[in-house]
Amino acid sequence: MVISLSSNDHSALDEALAEVAQADSLMGGSAAVVATTGPRRSPLMTLAWVLPGTIWLLLFLIAPLLMIVLVSVWERTPVGFAAFSFSFDAYGRLFETSVYLDTLKDTIFRSLLVTALCILIGYPIAFYLARCVKTVKFQIALFIVVLAPFWVAYVVRIIAWLPVLGRQGVINYFLVDVLHVVGEPISALFYSTFAITLALVQLYVLFMVTPIFFQLATLDNAAIEAARDLGATPGKVFREVIFPLSLPGVLIGCIFVFVLVMGEFATVRIIGGGTIQSVGTLVNDYYTIPDLPAAAAAATILVAVMTVGVAILLRFSKIREVV
Amino acid sequence: MSDTGLVLKDVYRVFPGDITAVSDVNLEIENGEYIVFLGPSGCGKTTTLRMIGGHDDPSSGTITIDGELLNGVSPAKRPITTVFQHYALFPHKSVLQNVAFGLKMQGMDKTAREQQATAAIELVGLGAMMHRKPRELSGGQQQRVALARVLVTRPKAILLDEPLGDLDRLLQMKMRVELRGLQRELGITFIHVTHNQEEALSMADRIVVMGDAIIQQVGTPTELARHPRNEFVAKFMGDNNVLHGTIESASGGNVVIDTPHGKVEVPGSGAAGEKGSMAIRASAVTISTDAVPAVNGVRVRLDFVEYLGDSIKLHLDFNGEPFLAKVDEERFGEVQAFEGKEVTATWAVEDGHLLEQ
Repeated sequence: MVISLSSNDHSALDEALAEVAQADSLMGGSAAVVATTGPRRSPLMTLAWVLPGTIWLLLFLIAPLLMIVLVSVWERTPVGFAAFSFSFDAYGRLFETSVYLDTLKDTIFRSLLVTALCILIGYPIAFYLARCVKTVKFQIALFIVVLAPFWVAYVVRIIAWLPVLGRQGVINYFLVDVLHVVGEPISALFYSTFAITLALVQLYVLFMVTPIFFQLATLDNAAIEAARDLGATPGKVFREVIFPLSLPGVLIGCIFVFVLVMGEFATVRIIGGGTIQSVGTLVNDYYTIPDLPAAAAAATILVAVMTVGVAILLRFSKIREVV
Repeated sequence: MSDTGLVLKDVYRVFPGDITAVSDVNLEIENGEYIVFLGPSGCGKTTTLRMIGGHDDPSSGTITIDGELLNGVSPAKRPITTVFQHYALFPHKSVLQNVAFGLKMQGMDKTAREQQATAAIELVGLGAMMHRKPRELSGGQQQRVALARVLVTRPKAILLDEPLGDLDRLLQMKMRVELRGLQRELGITFIHVTHNQEEALSMADRIVVMGDAIIQQVGTPTELARHPRNEFVAKFMGDNNVLHGTIESASGGNVVIDTPHGKVEVPGSGAAGEKGSMAIRASAVTISTDAVPAVNGVRVRLDFVEYLGDSIKLHLDFNGEPFLAKVDEERFGEVQAFEGKEVTATWAVEDGHLLEQ
């Protein structure tokens, strides 16, 4: 990236920054906050602000991505790949059977389902926190409680489902030994799409709650008061004012959850127990064969699909118009 | 008590922590009146407005409109709507949708409400902006949308909270006339809150001056300008000189007060020995090089001449205390020559008036 030092290039730089920030959130990283207002800085200062982030992104986002795309068009060798060769064989191998395409469809469906469930579960939580809890102190306290699952390691949170849903888990214990509704423990409770969906929602619902919470908490109360003043009932105030104004938060939450679930690997592997695949687990499978170009091709398609998905989300919601 | 109009009776508002925001407010507002609540920030004017609008409840006392009790009635059910301070337009709705909102809430069908909303938008002169979003409008245009949005619901009274506060001065002057004209045309009660005394004087049928949580004075603009009741009103209305002293004698409908500025004679009555305060408007004070008369004249130094275009404000200094005079614009050359010099400030007996203690 060439960074010009002439002073009238500020807006171009700001745009570049915004794009970088967007790319960052596309990859499920933390959303960078880009300040485009404020006093004009000297070009050197702007460079100083932009440089660390740019270098970071170049090294750890752009370079690896380019590498993956490159590897996907290099030829496979028994131990890895032949650098600087060129063929689309890896993509061909992916589509030899219907496995990859089916898994991709499943993954997209799962991501959409989990995103939808996260909205259904997360929105009321965010709404309660932001608009029903009166004092800020209590609000923060409750928000920390909501965040509590994040104090526990990712893998632990996944495995914690085992004593609940597993063959010897709490639910099976009740079904078999207490209620006697089934004779045998149901193993499908754990190694199932149901269990994966449940675990994914639990894992990622906070990525939905947080942006909606902040959007709702900073809503213009005057607009709500005005709606009430003009005769709106509480339900209409919600439908006409609060909900539409909270959509940017919902959208950001959707991007987070969709992208994170699309890339999911560990949850599917552990809770799916090898019977259920995601594109993430397929990439891992190709990697262990080893067929590195096919793994890279699978990943490239995943990134492309995710990018298109996010682009559609942004396009249809016209995020900038709402805010 | 009147059966028509808006009546506030013994209204108090005490916030938690024993903070009295509004105390002992009694006010009768006739239908179709333009009322301005005037006062410094924190005087209780906005709280009073919010109680009338239903966005806050009185701790005690009653508010009625045309004899109907409003206490406990939600803002939605009151025949009163508010134009909020920063307009509070719905940012995600177009001008037309914003204005039609109140009618939509009343359950009016789409064609009818859009027709009425269009008429209201045209009334405020925004016919060409119908499909824009609020953020695509200037401050003055947003203000008009806010106005159209409440007008369309045909309320009995409209409350305006600092409606001109966000506009630049030229636009403020223009909107003053427009608002006043619109109010006359519609004949709806307007209750307008401001801290700008010039705005209050130029727009109101009656002004309610509030200070320290109570009503200090209610009156027409001329009453307030000419006869402020007490020192608070005199000072808040601006350009008044207030002198304090002891009443020396009373005779023939006038009293003479002995003040550190010399003896002053004002119309009024009082007993010798009592404390007395009087106010004299800056525009009633004139300066000359004559000798100081026995009453109603002080020797002052002319510190600074402030040219206001149509008049000249003179900042005078009497032993370290500020004193104001206002003279005709034509005298600029003459008074400027006195800058930094000692002059005599005088006024006629009938221009001064006694303040309540």
